[in-house]
Amino acid sequence: MDLVIGVDIGNSTTEACIAEVGDGQETERSGARPSRQVHRLASSLTATTGVKGTPANTAGAATAVRRALSAAGRPADALATVLLNEATPVISGLAMETITETIITESTMIGHNPDTPGGEGLGVGTTVSLEEVGDVEAGTPVVVVVGGGADFDDVAHLLNRAFERGVDVVAAVMHGDDAVLVVNRLQRRIPVVDEVAAVDRVPLGMLAAVEVAPPGRTIRTLSDSYGLASTFDLDAEQTRQVSPVARALSGNRSAVVVRTPAGDVTDRRIPVGTLTLSGSGRSLDVGVDGGADAIMEAIGRVAPLTDVHGEAGTHVGGMLANVRDTMTDVTGQPASEIRIRDVLAVDTLVPATVRGGLAGEVSKENAVALAAMVRTSRSRMQAVAEALSDELGCETIIGGVEGEVAVRGALTTPGSAVPIAIIDMGGGSTDAALLDRDGAVSAVHVAGAGELVTKLIDSELGLEDREAAESVKRHPLAKVESFFHVRHEDGTVQFFTEPLPPHVFAKVVTVTPEGLAAVPVRGALEEVRRVRREAKRRVFVVNALRALAQVAPQGSLRLLGSVVLLGGSALDFEIPGMVADALAPYGVVCGIGNVHGTEGPRGAVAAGLVDAHAGTAAGPASQGIERQAAS
Amino acid sequence: MTATSEPAAAESVRTLTLREIGPAERGTRPDEVVIALSPAFGDPFTKTIVDVPHAEVIRQLLAGIEERGGSARVIKVYRTADLAAIAHFGAKISGSGIAVGVLSRGTTVLHQRDLARLSNLELFPQAPLLDAEVFRMIGANAAQYAQGQSPKPVPTRNDQMARPRWQAKAALLHLKEFDCIDHSRNAVEVEPVITRVD
Repeated sequence: MDLVIGVDIGNSTTEACIAEVGDGQETERSGARPSRQVHRLASSLTATTGVKGTPANTAGAATAVRRALSAAGRPADALATVLLNEATPVISGLAMETITETIITESTMIGHNPDTPGGEGLGVGTTVSLEEVGDVEAGTPVVVVVGGGADFDDVAHLLNRAFERGVDVVAAVMHGDDAVLVVNRLQRRIPVVDEVAAVDRVPLGMLAAVEVAPPGRTIRTLSDSYGLASTFDLDAEQTRQVSPVARALSGNRSAVVVRTPAGDVTDRRIPVGTLTLSGSGRSLDVGVDGGADAIMEAIGRVAPLTDVHGEAGTHVGGMLANVRDTMTDVTGQPASEIRIRDVLAVDTLVPATVRGGLAGEVSKENAVALAAMVRTSRSRMQAVAEALSDELGCETIIGGVEGEVAVRGALTTPGSAVPIAIIDMGGGSTDAALLDRDGAVSAVHVAGAGELVTKLIDSELGLEDREAAESVKRHPLAKVESFFHVRHEDGTVQFFTEPLPPHVFAKVVTVTPEGLAAVPVRGALEEVRRVRREAKRRVFVVNALRALAQVAPQGSLRLLGSVVLLGGSALDFEIPGMVADALAPYGVVCGIGNVHGTEGPRGAVAAGLVDAHAGTAAGPASQGIERQAAS
Repeated sequence: MTATSEPAAAESVRTLTLREIGPAERGTRPDEVVIALSPAFGDPFTKTIVDVPHAEVIRQLLAGIEERGGSARVIKVYRTADLAAIAHFGAKISGSGIAVGVLSRGTTVLHQRDLARLSNLELFPQAPLLDAEVFRMIGANAAQYAQGQSPKPVPTRNDQMARPRWQAKAALLHLKEFDCIDHSRNAVEVEPVITRVD
């Protein structure tokens, strides 16, 4: 009986599987029996130290081994062999470029959404300050602009006096959060937009329109090009010019538009450089501001991709250079020899403050997030193996190409059979491998995985808090409705006997094993959920299909028999379901890996290493795989 | 009076009268906020430790609640000068379970009926740092909690010097407030009458 431990060094986790492999090796080698009995004892998991495939991994691997030993209750000196995977460094990078911006000139528009505008309806008149409203002639329609520091009682008093004099006050724009208070004290209900921080920059003596929609509705006139044309009596050419204003205001509950001689709202595309894609003997330039679809389409045209360069001075260029530099540091290869083999571009929206806005308007600007991946064949696992031998005082063998061993581990999932494809969804990259009936294994690595999802969630929700984004990604949401009950995202209500902590009261929270954690957003639960699912779909579903298409026979997903999902992200509460749904139309059996029927989607490589060791001692690998498949 | 000048409170004076309208009973409106006042609030005290008139405190709390579309009731507690107890009592009779407790010297807390008495939703312990603007935000947050929304907590100011500078005065004010406790008197609902003296 030999005590054998398989150690899989991954991008983010190092997994170990400890087992007893039966009987003496000499008789096995002679081929008397096809394989030796494998009796699995325990497994362990720890964070990978350093970049995968580099000497820095030794510490993490040693920790994983010791944890597995103690979990199995065996002394360290009982260990006969440590098996390592042939890990090659994979370095991935993420970058984001905002490609549009909204600029308001001459303060033509106020399009922010105050929580509580006052009154409702549309008012069109000339802008006049509150101080001058006393001098306005009776019968003139005016929009009153109220500066900072004014008390709501006084404002209401002055406006009521103006009404009594016959001045037609049709609307108001205010600095403070007073709109409802003022409207409640007026003789006539007029639309009032408040919380306009830079109210002193509203041009006076100009024709302006103020619109407030009833609660739960959005404005209809100012968000429509012809509505603006009717309001301001515009001709066809002028209407064309104001249409960006209408677009910028759509979806708001309140808005102010001021007609100034040259005022405008522009929706500008920011030039953010180009990507140079090389592949299949040619190279292609694509502008990053063209969006994710244009980039992915260009990548498709030069497939297989051999290298990517970004323009210096841009985020994307910097990220690609950084990925190259890291790989240079890790492997010692010159940067010129390192090739970026895959790029995933994803369209996203980031909240950004509108330039020229008077009320701190925030507009959702288009952005492109890019994940890039570089891989090298130059592994330094030999150094890891030597260091590990010294530290643990036992034999260390590097065995098995990653994809092959992972497939072997995945095949121990009950119900799986050859041909089998795996998708390993990790932190930095998504890997796919296929084992066909002839025992041949093909594998690909594509850029973009869990880290990119976290980044998309973080930027789209405007969290600026990686921990919070990670929590949103990993856990389902709920809304705390009282100290004793929460409503989960599927609508079910859960009651508690002990009161919940005050800091989560009335908040959107993530339901974590450690309890409820507040998500620092103001939006509704539904919005957070939509962002989360959309981010996962755009990364994991897109990548699963992309990677499988590269390994599938003739690129056809229909020819895949079964797909086993592996890796940390296969433990996610919704990603496996989303991937399975996406694969269902191709008639593929898709499910979460369950290594040896007990281990779940983790540890496939570690378990596969042990099995391969026991099996290859007797015969070729392909036989071993077939045997596993049959069992 | 011009729009850009200081708030009117600084110039024209408003006075507060708390007209008793009956015993403080449990409310039924699910969106109501109870403002629970300490024994000396409004009478005999008329302003906080930093001279914010009580009329202004009440006016801004009510304005914050009104701006957010909520409704409010004001009660006065006589049996205790303990802020947590005052606010928790208010929360228990509030239709929404949300109450704002205010001491005469200005210390304020946002409470909810299901919380332990010494817990809170938001606490504003440094009375010298509370001005009209903060009271407005406290009122607005109370209304939002009552409506089941999740407002951003009012930014709490912190002044290291507040304690040494104001501790003596706060202690004296607390003693005076303590003298106004009437153990035999039940809490009453009051109607705040704010009159403007120009």
